Amino acid sequence: MGALGNGTRGLAGGTDLVPLLRDGLVAADRLVDLRRVIPSGIDGTAIGAGTTLAELEADPQIPDALREACRLAASPQLRNMGTIGGNLLQATRCWYWRLNYPCRLHGGDVCHAREGQHREHAIFANDYCASAHPSDVAAALLALDATVETTRAAGPLAGLYRLPDDHDRNLVDLGADELITRIHYERPEQSVYLKAMDRKRWAFALVGVAAARYDDGVRLGLAGVAPIPWRLASLDDLEQATPLPGTAYKLELARALGRRAIAAVGG
Amino acid sequence: MSTTLPLGRVGERVKRVDGIPKTNGEFAYSSDLFAAGMLWGHTLRSPHSHARIVEIDLADALTSPGVHAVLTHEDVPGQKRYGLEFPDQPVLALDRVRYFGEPVALIAAEHPEQARRAAERIRVAYEPLEPLVDPERALEQEPLHDERWTHGHGYRDDPRPNVVRHLVIRHGDPDAEGAVSVSGVYELGIQDQAFLGPESGLAVPDGEGGVDIYVATQWLHVDRDQVAPCLGLPPERVRIHLAGVGGAFGGREDLSMQIHSALLALHTERPVKMVYNREESFVGHVHRHPARIWAEHRADADGRLVSVRMRILLDGGAYASSSTAVTSNAASFACGPYAVANALIESTCVYSNNPPCGAMRGFGAVQTCFASEAQMDKLADALGLDPVELRLRNALAPGDVLPTGQRIDGSLPVAEVIRRAAALPVPELEPLPREAIRLPGGAGNTTRGEGVRRGVGFAVGFKNIAYSEGFDDYCAARVRLREDGSAEVHCAAAEVGQGVTNVILQVARTELATDDVVLAPHTTASVDSSGSASASRMTWMAAGAVQLACRAALEERERTGGEVDVERIYRHVRTSPLDPETGQTTGERSHVAFACAAMRVVAEVDVELGLTRVVWIGTAQDVGAAVNPQAVEGQIEGGTAQGLGLALMEEIQTQGGLITNASFTDYLIPTALDMPPVESVLIEDPEPSAPYGVKGVGEPPTVVSTAAVVAALRDATGRELTRVPVRPDDIVGL
Ligand SMILES: Cc1cc2nc3c(=O)[nH]c(=O)nc-3n(C[C@H](O)[C@H](O)[C@H](O)COP(=O)(O)OP(=O)(O)OC[C@H]3O[C@@H](n4cnc5c(N)ncnc54)[C@H](O)[C@@H]3O)c2cc1C
Ligand code: SF4
Repeated sequence: MGALGNGTRGLAGGTDLVPLLRDGLVAADRLVDLRRVIPSGIDGTAIGAGTTLAELEADPQIPDALREACRLAASPQLRNMGTIGGNLLQATRCWYWRLNYPCRLHGGDVCHAREGQHREHAIFANDYCASAHPSDVAAALLALDATVETTRAAGPLAGLYRLPDDHDRNLVDLGADELITRIHYERPEQSVYLKAMDRKRWAFALVGVAAARYDDGVRLGLAGVAPIPWRLASLDDLEQATPLPGTAYKLELARALGRRAIAAVGG
Repeated sequence: MSTTLPLGRVGERVKRVDGIPKTNGEFAYSSDLFAAGMLWGHTLRSPHSHARIVEIDLADALTSPGVHAVLTHEDVPGQKRYGLEFPDQPVLALDRVRYFGEPVALIAAEHPEQARRAAERIRVAYEPLEPLVDPERALEQEPLHDERWTHGHGYRDDPRPNVVRHLVIRHGDPDAEGAVSVSGVYELGIQDQAFLGPESGLAVPDGEGGVDIYVATQWLHVDRDQVAPCLGLPPERVRIHLAGVGGAFGGREDLSMQIHSALLALHTERPVKMVYNREESFVGHVHRHPARIWAEHRADADGRLVSVRMRILLDGGAYASSSTAVTSNAASFACGPYAVANALIESTCVYSNNPPCGAMRGFGAVQTCFASEAQMDKLADALGLDPVELRLRNALAPGDVLPTGQRIDGSLPVAEVIRRAAALPVPELEPLPREAIRLPGGAGNTTRGEGVRRGVGFAVGFKNIAYSEGFDDYCAARVRLREDGSAEVHCAAAEVGQGVTNVILQVARTELATDDVVLAPHTTASVDSSGSASASRMTWMAAGAVQLACRAALEERERTGGEVDVERIYRHVRTSPLDPETGQTTGERSHVAFACAAMRVVAEVDVELGLTRVVWIGTAQDVGAAVNPQAVEGQIEGGTAQGLGLALMEEIQTQGGLITNASFTDYLIPTALDMPPVESVLIEDPEPSAPYGVKGVGEPPTVVSTAAVVAALRDATGRELTRVPVRPDDIVGL
């Protein structure tokens, strides 16, 4: 594992990494197959990082929010290969970034999306990089109060992510040779994931809202609203949003979906 | 690939010959082609939408492993430019690139990956130029082409820069006043054909300087006639053979890899295969023209149209392709299938550095139908009339005169399709709770009924069948009758998935009164041109040609007794150009015939989220006579889905002329969940001048469904929705 970093990359299902390698957005001299070293499978409220989304969506023990988030991600073929660890670490879908525009996330000094087309982009924390995090799974796990165990440490899922700045353009706080091994969640009384898309299935979230009810209240996790998976303490926090002209509708979506998600879990 | 036939005569429901193999994976598509010793071709494309080429350095690429050839425009032995109608497009960029993805150089290598690696080693020095991306501004900017390629072809002389074609149709007194007037501005994004089989083919040198090209295309002979001059060869030394086509929808009318693969094959003296990947396919073919349309409709107090004015601006992108005909079609059908005494239609197509546009199912009529039907609903609203009633009052009928001065002398049952579609019972509101997939938002589980409103939309559209404006449009067929009574039919009509193979076989079986008929492989080597599998013409034209050839073969056998082999050419009635000043037909007709469709759509919209569900579609379509009713229904459903895609989600996004969503992850097309059941009524009113009375059926559903779906969304939301695709943000719209 010490070999990771230095031009060596870990490959799990490869569904995100391989296209990035092909498009020259990620460079690697060597790939290490993580499937042999990363635990996989479900054990109570612990999920091996190598568990595929297909396994998760089919397991009745998994809370509804996470099962639904997995079921609604990507397509069956991708879910058969894609792992939960890889999902949490998937790169942004911002197509300026995917087309290799020299934007801030690529180390440049402008965010092309802010000035240009940004319909799919963020309504929170979007002043530096306006990308919107695509992971449905991360939104669900935020609502489920998940913690992430790595080869070095364990901590809340929210701590895996960071907002980029001039000193560090990464959206993830993970060492080059650090691997996610397990994810633990808190079992809720009830949970749900609602995902607004441009078509009825097989599309990234415009906005996805996960809600999970615990004794002390409902927790909310959102996809598609900020450069990183976004946690809301309550719907009132939506008033803090800073939508761009083209993303103002997402605030409406988040409001309506938030209300409906909370109602659905009896909150 | 000869095809032996399941039974079936004209008018019977028959199974598609290619249906089972396509379903179980046995069908060989053009991307499955293989030849021993073949090389792989690859295209180096421009990363700029507009740039001057300063220098191309091939040195590193030539020494790259596995490479057999690296070619640029200097290696094109014949004409350096080609084009479906005007030779304005370089085979390989000369000194300038005009669109994102324009081919610059070609590589042939042992392995496709080696070819791609070598392409990365070609160093092209570009001097980027400001791209022309706003079609309105393009009319004032520096011309993109040094020559005015489309000038002097009988079109109106328009001195403005970058005009591909400017057409004005003036009919009656456009200033005539009505009791009410409504106007609006409408816009359509760029739609892609999104066929599943990317461009691909195989070129095989014949060892004598000629070449055989196996390719998925829509018109073998017009490919040959463009390829041969660029290779510097006479047409008979270039043979084009149809390989399995994975969808076309207009996107395979222009050449893609045909000349390129042949150049590489002749250069290396090895077979060369080329297969585009999905991203490359998005830049490898033309798209549906995006449009901005201003319209004003005036009517009298009874709702009879008094005058229609429309200004249509189409963005043709970098090269002409079939834009001049699209410009004319958009104008021809601008008023919809309604009788209008006075009209002023202005249709303009410009060159720009946006993705090149050309033929796509519906061909100009889709754009104006969307605008015109929105206008009809506005008019109904202004008059307090039922939208269906308003349409009935204005419905065109045989004997009526079109704004081009052409009198309709064939079949056109507009009132009947309206009545029949309007009479289809709309499904009842489904009770709640429902499964998520039966609600707006689909699998996303976004509502249990909150925010959901229902709307019903109605639209009518029409379009021409076959080529227009004086084009010499014909189709050949050859029939060999053997002594044992069996027959072999040759016809180059491209099977693009529309089912023309069955049509040919059904006609031959009917005419020859035998089931023992096979269709020979489609090739330019054994039969004359069939014309294009486009413009809803192929069934009519192929049926006409095969019928003629069969009857001639029977007569010949009567005379000679032995085996006979005859070829016949079928032509539809002649058409004439439009007058360049008035837009009036200069003869009896500029279009051959017309087909219409009416469609009723029920949609549900979650108005808080802007998510939609098309619940049901009912349509009545004028089909002339159905050769194979099952295939007609298939065309109606597929065509409707493509129009629904444009209404709800399909749009090529660009930035500075660069395509930013060239993948099926980012360019969304409808899934099975997005498509409702389609109930179709076939109206059989035989076309008097057509064989068996047939009409084409592929385009009318696409023409009308975009308009009809958006009408239903308007009804549900009360919003104007003047631009397609309509997406959640347009409905939530703040
Ligand atoms: C077309 C398409 C549509 C999609 N739609 C959705 C969607 O709607 N919603 C959604 O949530 N997701 C979506 N995805 C993302 C998909 O779910 C992820 O690609 C997948 O889960 C990634 O898992 P993987 O195992 O294939 O990761 P890989 O591609 O193998 O790896 C991704 C990244 O994570 C790193 N990595 C993987 N595992 C570990 C680990 N255990 N520790 C440390 N690093 C690791 C890799 O080095 C790499 O950098 C879509 C993807 C595609 C291609
Ligand atoms: S949103 Fe982020 S990734 Fe996209 S252009 Fe801006 S900085 Fe780059």
